[in-house]
Amino acid sequence: MSKLQKFKESQFFGLLLLVFIAFVFWAIFKILAPETFGDFNKLQTYLKTALYYAVGGCGLYFICVMGPFDMSVGANIVLSSVLAVNMSKHFGYAGLLIAPLISGLLVGLLNGIIYIKLRISSLIVTAGLSLVYEALSIYATNGKEAILAPSYRAFGDYPWNLVLALAAFFLCGFILKYTKIGTYTYAIGSNEVVAKNMGVNVDMYKVVGFVLCGLFVGIESILTISYGTSMTSASNLASMSRNFPPLMGTFFGLAFKKYGHPVVAIVIGEFIIQLLFQGFVALGAPTTIQNVVTGIVLLVIVTMTIKPVKGAVVK
Amino acid sequence: MSEVLLHAEEIDKNFGVTHAIDHVSLDFYKGEIHALIGENGSGKSTFTSCLTGIYHKDSGEFILNGRQINAKNQVDGNYQGVAIIVQEIGTLSGLSVAENIFLGKENEFTKYGVKNTNAMNKKAQELLNSYGFNYIKATDLIDKYNFEDRKLIEIVKATHFKPQVLVVDETTTALGEKGRKELFKVMKETKEDGRCVIFISHDLDEVIEQSDNISVLRDGVFISTVKSSEVNSDDLKKLMVGREMSNNYYRTDYNEKVSDEVVLKGENLTVPGEIDDFNIELHKGEIIGIGGLSECGMHEVGKALFGASYYRTGSVTLSDGTKINDIKTAIDHSIAYASKDRDNESLVINDTIQDNICLPSLEDLKRHHILHAKDEKAFAEKFAAQMSTKMQGVHQFMSALSGGNKQKVVLARWIGKNSDIVILDSPTRGIDVKVKADIYQMMDTMRKNGKSIIMISEEIAELLGMADRIIIMKDGRQNGEFKRSEDLKDTDLIAKMV
Repeated sequence: MSKLQKFKESQFFGLLLLVFIAFVFWAIFKILAPETFGDFNKLQTYLKTALYYAVGGCGLYFICVMGPFDMSVGANIVLSSVLAVNMSKHFGYAGLLIAPLISGLLVGLLNGIIYIKLRISSLIVTAGLSLVYEALSIYATNGKEAILAPSYRAFGDYPWNLVLALAAFFLCGFILKYTKIGTYTYAIGSNEVVAKNMGVNVDMYKVVGFVLCGLFVGIESILTISYGTSMTSASNLASMSRNFPPLMGTFFGLAFKKYGHPVVAIVIGEFIIQLLFQGFVALGAPTTIQNVVTGIVLLVIVTMTIKPVKGAVVK
Repeated sequence: MSEVLLHAEEIDKNFGVTHAIDHVSLDFYKGEIHALIGENGSGKSTFTSCLTGIYHKDSGEFILNGRQINAKNQVDGNYQGVAIIVQEIGTLSGLSVAENIFLGKENEFTKYGVKNTNAMNKKAQELLNSYGFNYIKATDLIDKYNFEDRKLIEIVKATHFKPQVLVVDETTTALGEKGRKELFKVMKETKEDGRCVIFISHDLDEVIEQSDNISVLRDGVFISTVKSSEVNSDDLKKLMVGREMSNNYYRTDYNEKVSDEVVLKGENLTVPGEIDDFNIELHKGEIIGIGGLSECGMHEVGKALFGASYYRTGSVTLSDGTKINDIKTAIDHSIAYASKDRDNESLVINDTIQDNICLPSLEDLKRHHILHAKDEKAFAEKFAAQMSTKMQGVHQFMSALSGGNKQKVVLARWIGKNSDIVILDSPTRGIDVKVKADIYQMMDTMRKNGKSIIMISEEIAELLGMADRIIIMKDGRQNGEFKRSEDLKDTDLIAKMV
């Protein structure tokens, strides 16, 4: 293998590529909207949003690698956020931190167990359960907007949002690299039958994947409610739109998996998406155009990174 | 005779109504390579799968060194002293080489839930080096390595802990010369170490050469155990099939004139990294054999001619001037292709025999633009029966069939389609002698009926026995061409391969 080929397959190249893509988008929008886009303060704000989406993206990564999918992330965020507000009223920061973690874990556990027991598509299971979680959020708020008291909003800004997000990223990276869960996540995603023959309890580790997804979405909820300060309960699958921002980061993680640092890819990927969104806002482009261009750019980046082989089976 | 290492007592296994193993009792001795042979579907792989934890037996017991073992899965089997190297790929993409070697055994490197990845990588690299595979890096993603290297990694994975019983299940067909040498070395070391190898192969000469004793299974029933030094391949064929095999195994004609009519012409076919400037003219009623070492590019030729090679340059033209650049055009113009990778590229494995046979013929089966289930069933039954497919019915799922019967379904599909040009890549790979004879018979009949066949094969005897012309490839290029002749010897072909 040539030195260039080796370099192109190295972790450093993957990182460089991500940073380069981020820089290119920043530069383009900075040239087009020098006054309204991309100064240091604004970049901090973009990063703030990217951080909490990236935490959710870390959670989704566990199950997307294994093969299933979780459509209940949005409902989980809504439910965990309103419970965080409710519990913070009784237990202060302890309530704010612990309630969404427990709620997220339980949602993940329920998703996983029902998916395994019913043996039907995870899409259907989690979409169906989203309605249940949304209904629970309405019960928890009596249909009113849940507002986080100003005295408990430390995780909505620097440095505590960064501390919590970094802790989540390290936890995700650690689980993937230094525990059996990480190995088995990839093993199940590669070939369930072979993994089972090697003694991997596939059903159990799929449930573990859902639980971890729920846990990270719980952490995302802490950051979401702290930054946004209020949350309205949802119904009729209105929470679905919250599924997609973390998922975009997961796409980056999956695309850059081969470089060995999916968590970094999820974080920088979310930051790139934010640069795009905010760039269009700075240019005053209509939301529809923003969405079209962002969607296309995401597809182009992921396609160019994965470089799918002609004729390869993609599902 | 030396001491019994493994005793199988009345092992019994059913899959639905199929009695896969019927109360089989067998002894395996210390310091022995014990071959297990039989037709496809005879129960060899099921027997060893029950031993190693891939399947769970219905009744009976395995006694290893006087202690009953009952493996729940492969890793549990490893801890109980048995290991298996399987025919198809047994490593997992997305994991490192080290993670693959120790998959299921992470606890050996885990303390308080934390995996010592560095220690695992170090240990894996030491093992790879000890086998002489220094060029394989434990930290690399396994995806970086080709099929053969991944098989070598599997050998390390299955043998590094010195299992008492090592099962080698049809592994040699997946390996090239280098891989086979390594595998036979490991088998020899296992034997010399006083342990035992259970060796499954359809290559009877290889079986006789490598093993000490040979046990024969037929339809799930134990038939006999013989000493390898006291039998030849004809004796084994007789034991496997239950009767004398006909001498008409291959074609017997040598001077038949092939038609001058060219039905397919491939010119300057090139696929980067695979084949380089390949040219071929296939005549009506002709069988062309393409041979070479496994990595010589011959398998890509089949795909290139069928329009399934995505980076191909050059042209494939039919007698009417039609250019073949994609699969649909190929099928629409009566070209059939059976890939070497049967399970992944030829069959819809999670579907029924009926759907697999009918798939390319659905348009022909329509009546007034509507498909009728009755017609499909009748069609599938007719051609499955024509190929003597062993099955419970055409509604049986493909995944339940043995390798040979899967291949029969592939061939039934294309006979049903009545294709004029048939490209067969390794048509008898992993297939027993009886099915082989059926397939050769079918090819001969097709040839006589004016059908043209391109047979890509790693088996020299098959090329010599069946082809009108043989093209030998080396490093992606044509390196020799031979006409069918009684005087043509395997050494002539080998000289052009290496």
